Amino acid sequence: MAGLSLKNVTKRYGMLEVIHGANLEIADGEFVVFVGPSGCGKSTLLRMIAGLEDIVEGEIRIGGKVVNDAEPSDRGIAMVFQSYALYPHMTVGENLSFGLRMNGNPRVDTERRVRRAAEILQINELMQRRPKQLSGGQRQRVAIGRAIVREPQVFLFDEPLSNLDAELRVQMRVEISRLHKQLGTTMVYVTHDQTEAMTLADKIVVLRAGKIEQVGAPLDLYDDPANRFVAGFVGSPKMNFLETKVTSSDATGVSVSLDCEPAVRLSLPVKTPIAEGTAVTLGVRPEHFLTAGSGDADLTVHVDVAEHLGNTSYVHASTAGGEQLIIERPESRTVANRDQLTVALSARRTFLFDSQGNRLR
Amino acid sequence: MPSRNRVAYAFLAPYLLIFATFWVWPIISSFLLSFQNTRVNPWRFQPSLNWGRLVADPAFYNALYNTLIILVIQVPVMIALATVMAVLLNSPLLKARPLYRFAFFAPVVVGEVAYAAVFRLMFSADFGIINKLITSIGFAPVSWFDNATAAMILIIIAVTWRWAGYNAIIILAGLQSIPGDVYEAATLDRVSKRQQFLHITLPLLKPIILFCAVLSVIGTMQLFTEPFLITNRGGPGGGTETLGLLLYRQGFTSLNFGYASAIAYTIAALAIAISLLNLWVAREPK
Repeated sequence: MAGLSLKNVTKRYGMLEVIHGANLEIADGEFVVFVGPSGCGKSTLLRMIAGLEDIVEGEIRIGGKVVNDAEPSDRGIAMVFQSYALYPHMTVGENLSFGLRMNGNPRVDTERRVRRAAEILQINELMQRRPKQLSGGQRQRVAIGRAIVREPQVFLFDEPLSNLDAELRVQMRVEISRLHKQLGTTMVYVTHDQTEAMTLADKIVVLRAGKIEQVGAPLDLYDDPANRFVAGFVGSPKMNFLETKVTSSDATGVSVSLDCEPAVRLSLPVKTPIAEGTAVTLGVRPEHFLTAGSGDADLTVHVDVAEHLGNTSYVHASTAGGEQLIIERPESRTVANRDQLTVALSARRTFLFDSQGNRLR
Repeated sequence: MPSRNRVAYAFLAPYLLIFATFWVWPIISSFLLSFQNTRVNPWRFQPSLNWGRLVADPAFYNALYNTLIILVIQVPVMIALATVMAVLLNSPLLKARPLYRFAFFAPVVVGEVAYAAVFRLMFSADFGIINKLITSIGFAPVSWFDNATAAMILIIIAVTWRWAGYNAIIILAGLQSIPGDVYEAATLDRVSKRQQFLHITLPLLKPIILFCAVLSVIGTMQLFTEPFLITNRGGPGGGTETLGLLLYRQGFTSLNFGYASAIAYTIAALAIAISLLNLWVAREPK
């Protein structure tokens, strides 16, 4: 087992820089999730750790050893691919043992490792089958099994669940989490699904356009996002952003006003001095709207569409100023399309961002 | 029959008629022809004549031997070469790949007569570039058209030159259908490039290679152009006469269509038998 460290890791394709000096420390045994939208460089960063992509600048250490120039097979890693990458002409058993057999690993040890992986993943029954005879979930298990038999120091997962249906994805997510607890090995996991990130990770790394935006525990990212991008990316449905203007600012906080009918004024405990009239963005999570009268300011909206899921309701609404919102209200089961709905905002549960998207605290 | 189906068949009828006249009937007709004595007028039904001659004819056995020799040597050599060419063409290290792809495929596009003429010039005993090369490195010149073994080698070289690129392109398509991450997974598993080729590429290419082999077997069984144009109608002295050439000689030189039909059916039967054997040997394990 080993930790992992990235120092100023950079990747360029010709003139195009796709990873801009990534710095990251991953502790031994930690489960780290790289998350971000498509094309943010998360898979590239993972492939650089694996050695499948060259590093232009910087340093990658695995278990304290610099591995920049080490062959992928010498890095002590094992990787699970999005497409599973199973050898289609081999049985499950042969798939698991192929690497070990090709490297002349003693037969007894190979058999032991394959048996152990099969037991951990409960695929004993499938050993004689070929990949095309397996379901998506079973293939994914075999792909993970192939990583386990290598007994790596670090597991790398490249969007391993994205080809599975929703139900199976939840099930496999739990299994991967269980596997991490059982093996205790460092795992680096790439996904664009923030729910996977939130549920699996000890630490989430949010990437955007090749830059690490924020690193932290899932709930820290949820409660205390560093910027508008992270605030919008973490949490489902995503955070609402309302354009506002600062009406006054002093040492205790700032007041903002929303373009609403009736007008909404909200005082926020933001310490950064901001000039009066500055345009800022107010962030409110859908689940943080309160019952009218119970918060710091009331907001009346026009309901466009109400979705009632039973346990909760999502109200898609617009303000008088025309801004779109999603409001989650478990008790609003009777709200209908085209109704007026009044909810309350709590200053404690809102976030303020400047025009660049940086958080104002 | 419902009227909708009748209308459909009415539309299909012109095609079916042409198909029956020019495809089905010649097959049946030539089969019947093989039982006729076509050297008398009018032709007479004499089942044992052509088939009896076939099993006893030294010219037939010579042509069969030549064809099988070409088949046994040329097809495996060409398929192996085509596989290597396909792997090289697929290499990301190769620059100007489309150019090479075209160059390898080009022989198929070249007219047969033109290519035969060029080969005759290249392998000419007196002024051909091949003999010049051979003598320049200290060996005796080869009589490509007068020595039966040399003529056979020439035929094999010519056929391989013409068809290896074509097969390489088919195999290349197969190679490109193997997902790249399978190789990445193997690289992470510390599987060397050679092992990857032997244990991943070749097994996954098996159906494509088999397809090429079957096509090549059928092509070789019908081989005609090269021995006809390059080695002077199967020369020297029948040394490169193939079944296709024998069929031509019997049918269109001696006008013995009955015997030619018997040879044609033998060629087809052998091609089917060898192809089936191929498929059976390389079948997927259950």
